[in-house]
Amino acid sequence: MIAAYLRSMARRFLRRASNEREMDEELESHVQLRADALERGGLERAEAERRARIEFGSRVRFKEECREALGGNAIDQAVQDVRFSLRSLRKSPGFSLVAVITLALGIGATVATFSVVNTVLLRPFAFSHPEKLLWIYSQRSDNPRTNFSLPEYCDYRDQTTSFEGLAGVASFNPTFADSGPPERVQGVRMSASAFAMLAVRPFLGRTLIAEDDRNGARGVVLISYGLWSRRYARDPAVIGRAVNLNGETREIVGVLPASFALPNLDTEIVVPLQPDADPRRNVRNSVNFLRMVGRLKPNVTAQQAHAELEAIRQNLQRQYPGVYTGKVGITVIPLTQEIVANIKSVLLTIFCAAGAVLLVGCVNLAGISLSRAAARQRELAVRTALGATRGQLTRLLLTESFVLALVGGSLGMLLEVWGQRALLRLVPTDLPRIESFSIDWTVLLFAGALVFVAALACGLAPAWLLSRSDLRDALVSSGRGSTGGRLQSRLRTWLVSGQIALALVLLANAGLFLRSFVRLSSELPGFDSIDVQTIRFSLPQTGYPDVATIVHFYDQLHSRASAISGIKSDALISILPLAPKSISFVHFTRPDRPPARPEDTPSTNYRIVTPEYFRTMGIPLLDGRNFTQSDDVEHPPVAIVSTIVAKNHFPDRSPIGQRILVDDTDGDPRPIEIVGIIGPVKQTNLETPAKADIYLPLRQMPKDGVPWLRNSAYWVIKTSGGAAGVERLLRDTIQNVDPNVAVGAVRPMSEAVATALAARRFSLLLVGSFAAAALFLAAAGLYGVISYGIQQRNREIGVRLALGATRASIVGMIFKEGAVLFAGGIIAGFTIALALARLVASQMYGVNEHDPLSFAIVGLILSIISFLACGIAARRAMNIDPIISLRSE
Amino acid sequence: MSEEAELLPGTLDLLILKAVSLGPLHGYAVLSRIEQISGQRLFVEQGALYPALFRLVRQGLLKTEWGKSENNRRAKFYELTAKGRKRLQEETDWWKRAATAVTTALAARPQRA
Repeated sequence: MIAAYLRSMARRFLRRASNEREMDEELESHVQLRADALERGGLERAEAERRARIEFGSRVRFKEECREALGGNAIDQAVQDVRFSLRSLRKSPGFSLVAVITLALGIGATVATFSVVNTVLLRPFAFSHPEKLLWIYSQRSDNPRTNFSLPEYCDYRDQTTSFEGLAGVASFNPTFADSGPPERVQGVRMSASAFAMLAVRPFLGRTLIAEDDRNGARGVVLISYGLWSRRYARDPAVIGRAVNLNGETREIVGVLPASFALPNLDTEIVVPLQPDADPRRNVRNSVNFLRMVGRLKPNVTAQQAHAELEAIRQNLQRQYPGVYTGKVGITVIPLTQEIVANIKSVLLTIFCAAGAVLLVGCVNLAGISLSRAAARQRELAVRTALGATRGQLTRLLLTESFVLALVGGSLGMLLEVWGQRALLRLVPTDLPRIESFSIDWTVLLFAGALVFVAALACGLAPAWLLSRSDLRDALVSSGRGSTGGRLQSRLRTWLVSGQIALALVLLANAGLFLRSFVRLSSELPGFDSIDVQTIRFSLPQTGYPDVATIVHFYDQLHSRASAISGIKSDALISILPLAPKSISFVHFTRPDRPPARPEDTPSTNYRIVTPEYFRTMGIPLLDGRNFTQSDDVEHPPVAIVSTIVAKNHFPDRSPIGQRILVDDTDGDPRPIEIVGIIGPVKQTNLETPAKADIYLPLRQMPKDGVPWLRNSAYWVIKTSGGAAGVERLLRDTIQNVDPNVAVGAVRPMSEAVATALAARRFSLLLVGSFAAAALFLAAAGLYGVISYGIQQRNREIGVRLALGATRASIVGMIFKEGAVLFAGGIIAGFTIALALARLVASQMYGVNEHDPLSFAIVGLILSIISFLACGIAARRAMNIDPIISLRSE
Repeated sequence: MSEEAELLPGTLDLLILKAVSLGPLHGYAVLSRIEQISGQRLFVEQGALYPALFRLVRQGLLKTEWGKSENNRRAKFYELTAKGRKRLQEETDWWKRAATAVTTALAARPQRA
């Protein structure tokens, strides 16, 4: 089919050549015949031929009309236009270069941000009919997103009629071992039936099926596309391979698609939940670790489903009084919304910022091509005189900007393709679905559309001007002070004011982001991250059955670490601060002040530590005492709380020496004595204010917590500076105590703080550089308009000077002109920025989105830059020599 | 110039068809024929003829053949096709009806009530 098409194209071109020849021959024969007639009338042959040619009129024009009459030559015409544009662009290389670079950067940036938006927000999810999928949390008075216990989940699953299926999902971060080095992976346990319900197709092998959840079923595991690429180099033979997860052998049965993602959970591996094999299946008061995902039946709305779950919850609460304390409701969120919730507004802001830069660039180019069109008015007038129609000229100008946009866009696309690795390094790593990033046809289509829009944006203004001005006048008036002048200068004023307005909007947003960022980075996390290294590790399943063995492991580790000269102190903790995906909290009550209702039972973050933890992390002990070695099973249980607990729950007295009932076992709450108060720590992220914390000594931890701590704990080490070789040293130290411990990467605590700022740094960096680009373009535009005006009025200025005007008054005139442009732009800019502020309000931290200071500073920066642009232009005007300028025309 | 009638838009095609209907003609002869049959009252701009001829060829109303002119110059001759003949008939009928209608309208005298 393609061959046939090419053949017909070739025929067309061959025929075109013969058509041309025939047309020439025919018109020439006409002239000769006419000349014959004139000769018969008594003229000399030469004179007759001359006369015949004049009578005939513009042969070029008629030939053009003949070609049009022949029809079907749109392509030929376009080819001709493009060829002509290339020729005229070659003639002004400076303009072409500036235009291509501006467009390449503008289109490149916009396409790059679009490709991220496309991957994260637009691509279809791995689920079919995702709009029917709901993500469900248990709601507590202080937190709308908490977990369900296993028996609770099973009750909802068995009693609901609104869902086609209800699956339980829990985070599961085991040690993953095969022939290679063991590593900790972040994954989930999930009802095996979930895959049929979500309608996820495996990338390789199969997904989980209902049989995998049966008690006693063979152990299986799915791995993510990312893990498959990273650990197995995309080897398809991985299916059927046996791996070891926390000491349990499982067979890899499938590879998940790259687009598979769940809200706030990593899915490097997925194993079946197997609820009936779980010892907690019938323990009503067991730990809450499950979220739920369900697919609505047809004709059931989310509201109806929510109401039904709520009814089931209230029934359960009546049926098991005292068990579900603190659970006050159900939180139901569309699955896809929950996956992208946090990042959506950030990405859209960045995308809009990139688009705005492109727009500023286009407007700038429109301004330049406007001046070029004015300068070319004579050329265009001559073309009209030679028979070009206005439509043809408009098409020509648009073709020119289209050629520029196409070249610029292609370069931009190249930048995107080459720069995608850099781009991926720049984006925060916790962006959902980002590992499936690729440049697909949607991106290409978008880039194509962008080229088209950019071409129109650049070329429409001069083309419009052309259609409004009388070109014949231009020919007569020798190209100066042409009639299009006033219209043109008004148009240019609008364009420049528009650029200033857009630049202001971008700058204002960058300013707001900057202030938020500064505020946030100056937030004290409650600990001192300097020279603190952290390592996450998992103890093997065998050999650590109880608290004593874990304590023994740490004692050995601690004594080895103490012998190393570079280590100042070291400690163990169950969950590090600033760990957004790890949650561990308990409920507690003051025996002398029981809560009025069970659901009012307060909760607090729950951490198991060794005594050196507070010193290692630089968390100040404010009152009471630290843990000691003797706070062990032989002694009454003790705890240290943060000032938030003291403030919120002990307003009447010091909590030191008080007993609280802590619900941290599968049994009844147990009394624990508070012995110390320490400073508050931000446990989830920097934005969220510190909440209540309670710390328990490792030696007194309840035995129910053993599997949990064995699975994941952190070793934190304060060194005396100098990180070189420390990683190897720390890993070796752990391996020397027990070679079977799975050791994660060594990560400085300062990196955790940086990660907590990463998303904001990302948007600040991008919006900031886009704003800078817009500022530069707007300043260049302003300068361009003013200096163009001066150039046009060179003679006028010369006359004024000759008549005795002072240079100061000329400069005053120029600045007045600049001020008008600037004022228009800045008023429009402030109006737009204030109107749009609402959209970025959710991304602000500690700064009002209408923050007057940011706006004032941004206005000031813009004024200074504009003042400079006017100043440079004015200096050129000052150098005008009246004699030269008067003689020049 | 003032004595020459301006061509009404759309009439050029009709005149060409009429001129060619009397026998195959080359381009220059089409012009002369139009001048001749209009009693030297209608003149067509020389160059403007060709786009019209090309258009009519493309519409299948005329066919072309290269040949020799009366004074032995190589020239392209235009000839009416069957479709062209039919079109000429239709257009002529339409023109006559329209012309009669306009003439009648213009001949109307003011009537007193």
